[in-house]
Amino acid sequence: MTPRRCRENLAARKRVEAFFKCLMVLSTALVIASLLLIVGTIVWKGFPALSLSMITRTPRGGFYIGKEGGILNAIVGSLDLAFGATALAFLLSLPLALYLNVYQSRGSKTAAGTRFFLDVLWGVPSIVYGAFGFLTMMFFGLRASLLAGILTVALIEFPIMTRAMDEVVRLVPRELREASASLGATRFETAVRVVIRQCLPGLLTAVLMAFGRGIGDAASVLFTAGFTDRVPASLLDPAATLPLAIFFQLGTPLPEVQQRAYASAVVLTLVILAVSVGGRMIMRRFTRHVVK
Amino acid sequence: MRLFKDALARRGMSVLAVLPGLLVLFIVLGLFLKSRAVLAVQPLARVLFGSSWHPLHGSFGLFPFIMGTVWVTVTALLLAVPVSILTAIYLSEFAPRFVREFARPIVDLLAGLPSVVYGLWGVLLIVPFVGRWLAPLFGVASTGYSVLAGGMVLAVMIFPTIIHVSLEVFASIPFSLREASFSLGATRWETARCVVLRKGTPGILAASVLGFSRAFGETMAVLMVAGNVPAAPTSLFDPGYPLPALIANNYGEMMSVPLYDSALMLAALVLLAVVLFFNVLARRILIRVERRVR
Amino acid sequence: MRKGVLALIVVLGAAFAAPRLSGRPAREELRGRLSVSGAWALYPLAIKWAEEFQRLHPGVRIDIQAGGAGKGVADVLGGAVDIGMASREISPAEREKGAVAVAVAKDAVVATLNPKNPFLDDLRRRGLRKEDLVRIWITQTARTWGALVGRTDGAAIHVYTRSDACGAAETWAAYLGRRQEDLAGVGVYGDPGLAEAVKRDPLGIGYNNISFAYDLKTNKPVDGLAICPLDLNGNGRLDPEERIYDTRSDLIRAIAANVYPSPPARDLYFVMRGRPGGSPLVEFMKWVLTDGQKYVTEMGYLPLGPERTARSLALVGGPGAGRK
Repeated sequence: MTPRRCRENLAARKRVEAFFKCLMVLSTALVIASLLLIVGTIVWKGFPALSLSMITRTPRGGFYIGKEGGILNAIVGSLDLAFGATALAFLLSLPLALYLNVYQSRGSKTAAGTRFFLDVLWGVPSIVYGAFGFLTMMFFGLRASLLAGILTVALIEFPIMTRAMDEVVRLVPRELREASASLGATRFETAVRVVIRQCLPGLLTAVLMAFGRGIGDAASVLFTAGFTDRVPASLLDPAATLPLAIFFQLGTPLPEVQQRAYASAVVLTLVILAVSVGGRMIMRRFTRHVVK
Repeated sequence: MRLFKDALARRGMSVLAVLPGLLVLFIVLGLFLKSRAVLAVQPLARVLFGSSWHPLHGSFGLFPFIMGTVWVTVTALLLAVPVSILTAIYLSEFAPRFVREFARPIVDLLAGLPSVVYGLWGVLLIVPFVGRWLAPLFGVASTGYSVLAGGMVLAVMIFPTIIHVSLEVFASIPFSLREASFSLGATRWETARCVVLRKGTPGILAASVLGFSRAFGETMAVLMVAGNVPAAPTSLFDPGYPLPALIANNYGEMMSVPLYDSALMLAALVLLAVVLFFNVLARRILIRVERRVR
Repeated sequence: MRKGVLALIVVLGAAFAAPRLSGRPAREELRGRLSVSGAWALYPLAIKWAEEFQRLHPGVRIDIQAGGAGKGVADVLGGAVDIGMASREISPAEREKGAVAVAVAKDAVVATLNPKNPFLDDLRRRGLRKEDLVRIWITQTARTWGALVGRTDGAAIHVYTRSDACGAAETWAAYLGRRQEDLAGVGVYGDPGLAEAVKRDPLGIGYNNISFAYDLKTNKPVDGLAICPLDLNGNGRLDPEERIYDTRSDLIRAIAANVYPSPPARDLYFVMRGRPGGSPLVEFMKWVLTDGQKYVTEMGYLPLGPERTARSLALVGGPGAGRK
């Protein structure tokens, strides 16, 4: 190729690159702008609605039409539900994740099979969990209640938490486990004393991630947890939740009721953002202390 | 004593290992048993492909809802996949470090937002945008509650899924391949196109399939913006009624109309089957990609 | 470090458990829990009843949720709630499953418009006949506002209906001679949701329970909604006796006088599974049908009248073979 053709060719290719680079930057900008737009809209609509009385009082006169009161019912309901579900899922996920990695060898069939089914569970849409939860509720004669909601959300959180924990536990170097075994520790002791300590930040992040998912999910609690104006006083009471508070109270012509929906949206988004950022900070801060 | 604890723990935990399999079994079985009632009256083909949804007359054709789901999901994919891949390539190959550090948390945050919040945003911004701006632009009259609105909201919801997986796929491609391409005089874009995209195609495909599954099963956000009209959509500006919305809206009628609960459980089963199939497919592809590169 | 985390968990757990364990009410003569769900139409009235009843009996806790008549009946038949609120008749299939409907009040469904509708004056002068409504919601042969009022204007009618299974839609459809599933239009969740959709759309038309179309405090239609008058005698214009929509009281009077037909006016029911039994359910029902009736007109509904109330009481009183 002559030097001139060479230069022209390069210039053309550079133009192509510039064009696509422009497209790519636009795409990235679009993605980032979407998040900012969503959070911005929520904050713009919701911040004016937030006040001390909004988060410390329950709605008066019925949450669909009552003009006074706030969203305490949904805040407490959601927290109760999410904590309960996360705790329940944690009790199941941690042992399972440990079992899959410490007790089972890498290529074992049991582990592969369990992981496959966990993947399957992970992919189930939450409305299906809600429908299944409703069927089970009716089968056992359980009413729409905090307990039913906890069980259903725990079902959703379980595969998410287990999978995340599994990935973290897997990263623990074999040598560490072998060293522990060579010192005469049983597998159980290895699991509890060595492995957990090693991946504690990762485990915590997994818990937080599942918590964030659980507190934000509406389709699963739609049928199972009910909704009410009050703070749930026992496991068998129906419980209001923030996502449903948004859903039910948004589409009303009464601005006071809509305000509650926006306030719920802000509170929910803030909680989830806090959990997400918190998880990140934990990962960053504590990974320093971990053996590499 | 310590050995006893170990053995006990082992027994206990191995019970847990059966749990996921059991759960899947129970869910599928439960839904299937409930669906039998409606299948006894109508053959499966008519339920899946029949357009007539008149539960009170005993007619349960799920076709309009399946089409509604398909329209919304395909729209979302068409909008999300190009944008997500371009973003992923940019972040992986071109972006300066600080942009990447800034963008990744934002993508993850998008992933964490609950679907009602997306729905709220959709109702406040997207529906009026489609109804008052986009539709008149195309000369169509629309209330804004449409397949397009649903697709747009869903697209933003699945950005993080596709981006995240694509980024992982790109990261797993060894740098040496890129180096080889550069040494041959290729521009960064050409490298991205010929090496990264080509090598990463199965991974990108898997990411898109995962996005598809997520969009297919999404309930709340679409319910709030898609219009909920039980007729198969014929244009982007028509309202649509996806399967998850059908289940969410009508579980109230379950006891009142004979066979309605059975039909809804069948809808849930169909949804489950589709989502699971594609999900598992995507996972298999991804595992194979990982294995090949490692 | 681990002990610290453990301690934190215990403290948090205690903080959440404490309110549950303390605060038991002192011994009252009536205690228990009731849960209610169902029609939006009855929701405001049920809230009022629950408030007053709980004031008389602080040991009773009543939780009320809306969700549509369909949900109410499904929940009560499924054992998830004690009372299902229904704003429509219950079907034979529901009766077979054990549903017992006790009439408690009466209200109506009205057609709603946006006050910024460019054709509002024409509509207010002529009213809409039943055939027009059928052309809007059932056959969809009326696609433009102009077609309804005899002009050639091409502005499209944006039709709205309910996406959840509810009595309002069933009642409206019954007025048009069909069922809810035959109603066309964009499906919106909930009665307030439909009102809001019409409020946002100047070309929209929908239908609502009067509890959500009218503002209880002002007695007039809710800010941002206009009631679409019905040309009941079909003569193509709105006669003076058909102008009954200015205030809620006017409309109630018209319903009582049978000027506004039933449907779309209808009885409202509390549905139970089997004959109501056990307290506080029976006590609550009896109170609703006796002392509670004084709140009916106050909340803008139509009372049933002594004869029907007596019949409802008969269903409730007496030895019941209830579930509890």
